[in-house]
Amino acid sequence: MIKVEHDEGPEVVIAAGLRSPWVRAGGTFAKEDAGHLGSQVMRELLVRTGIEPGAFDEVVVGSVGPPHDQANIARVVALRAGIPRHVPARTVARNCASGIEAVTTAAASIKAGAGDLYMTMGLEVMSAYPLIFGEKMTNLFARLMRARSLGQRLAAIGSFRPNFLKPRVALLEGLTDPISDLLMGQTAELVARDFGITREECDAYAAESHRRAAQARDAGRFEDEILPLFPLGAKEGSTSVLHDDSIRDDQSPDKLAKLRPYFEKPDGVVTVGNACGITDGAGALVVTTAERAKALGLAPLARLKAWAWAGCEPARMGLGPVHATAQVLDATGVTLGDIGAIELNEAFAAQVLGCARAFESAEFAGGKLGRTSPLGTLDLDRTNVNGGAIALGHPVGATGARLLLTAAHELEKGDHELTLATLCIGGGQGGAVLLERIER
Amino acid sequence: MIDLSQFPSPADAPEPGACIRVERPEEGLAVVVFDAPHRSFSVLDAPLLRDLDAVLTELEADGSVKGVVFTGRRPDQFLAGADVEAISRITDPGVVRQAVIAVHGLFERIERLAPRTIAAVGGPVPGGAFELSMCCDAIVATDDSRTRIGLPETMLGIIPGWGGSHRLPWRVGLPKALDAILTGRLFPAKKAWKMGMVDRLTKAEYLERIAADLAMGRERIKRKRRGRAKWLVDRNPIARAVIRGQARKGVDAKAHGNYPAPYAALDLVMAAPGRSLSEAARAEADAVAALAIGPVCKSLVGIFFASEAAKKLAKFEDGRSPERIRRAAVVGGGIMGGGIASLMADKQVEVRLADLSRAALDAATWQHRKDIAKKRKRRRLSTGQANSAMDRLEVSVGISGVGEADIAIEAVAEVMKVKHAVLGELAGAMPADAILATNTSSLSVTEMQRGLPGPERVVGMHFFNPVKKMPLVEIVRGEETSDATITRTAALAVALGKTPVVTKDVPGFLVNRLLGPYLDEAVRLFVDGVSPVRIDRLLVAFGMPMGPFTLLDEVGFDIAAHAAGSLHEGYGVRMTPCDALGGMISPERLGKKSGKGFYDHTAKRKKGQSPPVMGDLGRFQRSTRAMLMSDRDITDRIVLAMVGEGARAFEERVVATAAEFDLATVFGTGFAPFRGGLLGYADSVGAARLLSMLERHAAMPDVVERGAAAARFEPAAVLQELAEAGETFHGRG
Repeated sequence: MIKVEHDEGPEVVIAAGLRSPWVRAGGTFAKEDAGHLGSQVMRELLVRTGIEPGAFDEVVVGSVGPPHDQANIARVVALRAGIPRHVPARTVARNCASGIEAVTTAAASIKAGAGDLYMTMGLEVMSAYPLIFGEKMTNLFARLMRARSLGQRLAAIGSFRPNFLKPRVALLEGLTDPISDLLMGQTAELVARDFGITREECDAYAAESHRRAAQARDAGRFEDEILPLFPLGAKEGSTSVLHDDSIRDDQSPDKLAKLRPYFEKPDGVVTVGNACGITDGAGALVVTTAERAKALGLAPLARLKAWAWAGCEPARMGLGPVHATAQVLDATGVTLGDIGAIELNEAFAAQVLGCARAFESAEFAGGKLGRTSPLGTLDLDRTNVNGGAIALGHPVGATGARLLLTAAHELEKGDHELTLATLCIGGGQGGAVLLERIER
Repeated sequence: MIDLSQFPSPADAPEPGACIRVERPEEGLAVVVFDAPHRSFSVLDAPLLRDLDAVLTELEADGSVKGVVFTGRRPDQFLAGADVEAISRITDPGVVRQAVIAVHGLFERIERLAPRTIAAVGGPVPGGAFELSMCCDAIVATDDSRTRIGLPETMLGIIPGWGGSHRLPWRVGLPKALDAILTGRLFPAKKAWKMGMVDRLTKAEYLERIAADLAMGRERIKRKRRGRAKWLVDRNPIARAVIRGQARKGVDAKAHGNYPAPYAALDLVMAAPGRSLSEAARAEADAVAALAIGPVCKSLVGIFFASEAAKKLAKFEDGRSPERIRRAAVVGGGIMGGGIASLMADKQVEVRLADLSRAALDAATWQHRKDIAKKRKRRRLSTGQANSAMDRLEVSVGISGVGEADIAIEAVAEVMKVKHAVLGELAGAMPADAILATNTSSLSVTEMQRGLPGPERVVGMHFFNPVKKMPLVEIVRGEETSDATITRTAALAVALGKTPVVTKDVPGFLVNRLLGPYLDEAVRLFVDGVSPVRIDRLLVAFGMPMGPFTLLDEVGFDIAAHAAGSLHEGYGVRMTPCDALGGMISPERLGKKSGKGFYDHTAKRKKGQSPPVMGDLGRFQRSTRAMLMSDRDITDRIVLAMVGEGARAFEERVVATAAEFDLATVFGTGFAPFRGGLLGYADSVGAARLLSMLERHAAMPDVVERGAAAARFEPAAVLQELAEAGETFHGRG
């Protein structure tokens, strides 16, 4: 039994949660729209919890790339979900951690006494990321707009060259760190080199992720989490998406070995097979106090025991979970061994394995964390027991919601006292949330 | 002074001068406000016309007036048009003619007023209201979703008779005027402005100011000039011939020669270019005089008033409206359930559709999104409205999340046990005052009430297929159904854009009970050798929207056979169905939905062409003896079967009044509107003649051969009473 001491202030809980299936980008959700996808999940969670929609203090949605026509996507989702107009809504962002950011923002507001009932969501439709006109084409448009005479207009049009049409890919540019100029995959390669992680290790880890995910799906482990959805733009006679659709039942290290490195040819370790997929999804969580949850007749999934955000080197952003987890453990006096199950987001197999090495490395503890001893061992058998982003996908802003939802459900399903959700964040940050079981 | 002595005046007509107020908000400006105290919405009735006459006389004499504004009591209430009720009561064509000419004279005086005249309108501006506006120098309308402008007279069997048939083509040209007058459409503000029907749009809050500015010359009137188009189109004999031909074709396709008004309107509009005002007045007066006293106009006006009266079912006796239904549950995601849920979501009701099959829910969601996308594409909805309409449809595998719903409608399989179980589950999950409605078409609502907690809130809400198109909803009162439940359900029907009719809980209610014998007689004639194409053609000519075999294909053989079976069970031998239809059923042959029925819907054909008849129908025919029956006898046989049953239903008062009865037959069975509905038709034939027709058909060998089943041609007692007393159904009320 772990000795748990509650923090000051109201006891914050995750009262209920629901998510869409995680669907490979450009696939069945290709015509989805963030406002629609998010609101369907939120609407159903409202019905299932029976909370009167006007009772919420605020709606907080985390999203990395809201559609350009729905900048405050939180407000759009809230209104479309049937939450009345008097309830305010804000969109928050912390790259890949935006979904958790929504929850911790709400929790911080509760702690500060601003309110006690929040609807939060992590939401990303990566399928809808746009192609952008390049600089030359943009300049041409600007010239055209300014042109006063026919001559000026013709001159502007005459300056056109076919290569002006080469688009900039928002997705690709979004996944590049502007400080270190590295693509996210390249930061993972750096971590792999630091810790001597091999291609074989990465592929084996990735294959295991798929195996666990398939097993969890078949065992009905996600039934309480996922709301089947009939996608926008679906053809007549097609069916709802019931499960996360990027899990490969037949994935194996041998098959993965055939793929070529994607980011560093020819010797890199990161392939599209041992990295997370580009994905669409939305997950909603009701964040409130234990007291209010009781008044609403809800049986909360988990208590929010502690959370931490930490900064680290942008070029090695993959190690963010180690930095953030260290702070959570220090603050609560819990050790890694006390935690029953850990959801550590699988951005890249190399990055997860790098975290595992860093947790037990005295050198890393001394050099980067300023500690005298290593944090402890990250037991990979208790980490991502239901598979992770490599199998399920990583809809950046939405992932945090899934990590928390899965970690919360794991308290009861795995019979644990504590679970942890942690993830690395592009730009060099880590986030960690420690969840505690609550009497239901 | 105009002479309106012959024009019927309402009983509660107010004192002279009470219907119109003239305000003088500034020097030189007169604002004429139509504000009749005896009407909730001012109408161009006798007292108001009398007052208008007086006001015009005053304005004509007042040299200080620079501008005149005609407006309503509110920016969304101008005038509701002519007093249709009064016109429909006139039986003497001379009186009609006189009344039309008199109003023409009045309107011409508006046109001749020396000051600048502006019509400041908003809300509905139908018929006479728009005709009056067109006499002003300019029309300014509110840019509001409630604004609807047009000339709907042909829908009521008359023509725009107060100048509209001429002033509109003069104003907007022939093609647009024909479109507006022949369809009778009321156009939204933007569209009306684009067409040139109004000259300027403004927000309701600015209407008064802008109208004053225009009237006083502070803002210049910009009018769309037709210029060259006028000469190239309106006065070009070749273009006119083409336009006329096209319009005529369009009218024929809809009216089949049964409705004289569109034809008269076509002639008037085509002749409008080049006519003088006095010629126009005479031509319109002659046309209205001929039409207004005719049976078609009387029938259409009767249906119109019955449908207006039906909306009163949506209010409590003390005039209060029930609280709007915001959230609903529909159980059963088939064609009917899915259609009802989709309609609700489209009409601002949040709805949760429950079914045990996810595939059924997916199909319903797909159909809903498709329908909404279509409305979006036609710009009936903005993107935001379309999104909301999509969002309002939730789905659920199994009944869940219905705790907040104000009403649940079940549309599950037509099996009493299943329906009872579903209603029981709903009763347990929903608030105690929520309505539990059944969309049954064949089962007893009273039986469903038994054993349910709160049976007074159980009601039948019978939609017709296709849900979005069919305008009628039968509200079925079970033995224990409360009045409040009936009112709340009727209010929902009205909110969904439907016309409610309350019926008793008898097998088939009203509409299916009448359609049963009608379809069965058609099938029997087919079995005896008559071609379905011939029968369909005859009944379309009679005025039905489609023939019985096209209808059978639409409904589906399985559904039709089931309905016929339950009628037989309910009414006994006179509803014995011909066994041929049952014999035709196979999984591949269920009507349109399976591709094959009496017609081959899978056959390739050009757009607009009707499907060819199936080649193998001969093998279902058993004799050729009916082949030689005359067209008249075939039509009579089929219609008489329906009239006979209708008389019985009237006798039982399945619906309260003859007017509502006819409304249901027109909106539910599509019974020829120009004949005024089934009872209207019966009345026009006369009870005595109907008796002899029934007798004649009952004596025909093929009917005699049926034995006891021929009972459907035995006349109801009420028919004999009417014949003896020389009365009519509508006379009994």
